[in-house]
Amino acid sequence: MQRILLAILVYLVTSQIVAINCYSVEPDEFLQNPKNELRARNISKNVRCLVCQNQSIDESSASLAKDLRILIRKKIEYGNSDEEIYDFLTERYGDFILLNPPFKISTLFLWILPFVFLAVGIFVIFLHNNKSKKLDYNK
Amino acid sequence: MKKNILILPVILFFLILLAFFYLLIIDRNPSELPSVLINKKVPAFEAKSLLENKTFVSPNEFRNEIRLVNFFATWCKPCLDEHRYLKKLSNEKRLKIIGINYKDDSKKVIKWLEKLGNPYSSVLFDPNARLGIDWGVYGLPETFIVNSNGVIKYRLVGPITKKNYDAFVLKVKEVEK
Repeated sequence: MQRILLAILVYLVTSQIVAINCYSVEPDEFLQNPKNELRARNISKNVRCLVCQNQSIDESSASLAKDLRILIRKKIEYGNSDEEIYDFLTERYGDFILLNPPFKISTLFLWILPFVFLAVGIFVIFLHNNKSKKLDYNK
Repeated sequence: MKKNILILPVILFFLILLAFFYLLIIDRNPSELPSVLINKKVPAFEAKSLLENKTFVSPNEFRNEIRLVNFFATWCKPCLDEHRYLKKLSNEKRLKIIGINYKDDSKKVIKWLEKLGNPYSSVLFDPNARLGIDWGVYGLPETFIVNSNGVIKYRLVGPITKKNYDAFVLKVKEVEK
């Protein structure tokens, strides 16, 4: 029994490690300069694959993802800054291509709404507490 | 009074539920993205023409009349289904269609067009998807309507079919006005 449990535990731990390190960048895409390669990887992790839509282009093996990965690396070698690369992508595909949406007027609701809901929740709990306290006094 | 306030979240919950249910039953494709290029000038680019020995220069070629820009490939099955409607648009509606051949083999395309007929006024070659990325293309086929000033007015993601042909022609007429 213990052996089976141990096997399951080992499986769970190792499968997680594999899942975390899973990416689709192919060896021939790598840049010579490790610093630049790291920059490319970091940008790719923030860019949505528009074919799979819930994966970043770093994880996706779709052909558009590969094309974008190569283009980003070309732009880095050409000397473009991260900002310039993100601007290039959003000019063509919109903010949706960024996995982390920017804070601006059109995305205000997206950012503010969770806090509004939290405030409403706290308010409701507070109200409820007050009510039960009053009931206690009335006893 | 306080009881009424506590009912509010419940009502809100059901309203949200209703909104989700509505989005679920209406006819829409949730993975379809609106183009950010609408009402913007066509991207500037130069591309090799596949059938003639000349270079196509944008935005110079987008003048005087309305044009369609169609991204297609021989490996794309919906593109094959769409082909007859593109021919219909060029023959019956006299529309100029610029075909951009996306990540394909030039020999295959030439054969494909010889066999099926060529609805395009120019066929441009985009072997590494560089043009596709400039136009924000993410799935084939995609068709853009560009007005006579070289401004992109509409994008259709997916093929022109029997079902949406009339609606598409209507869109072209709207842009023509």
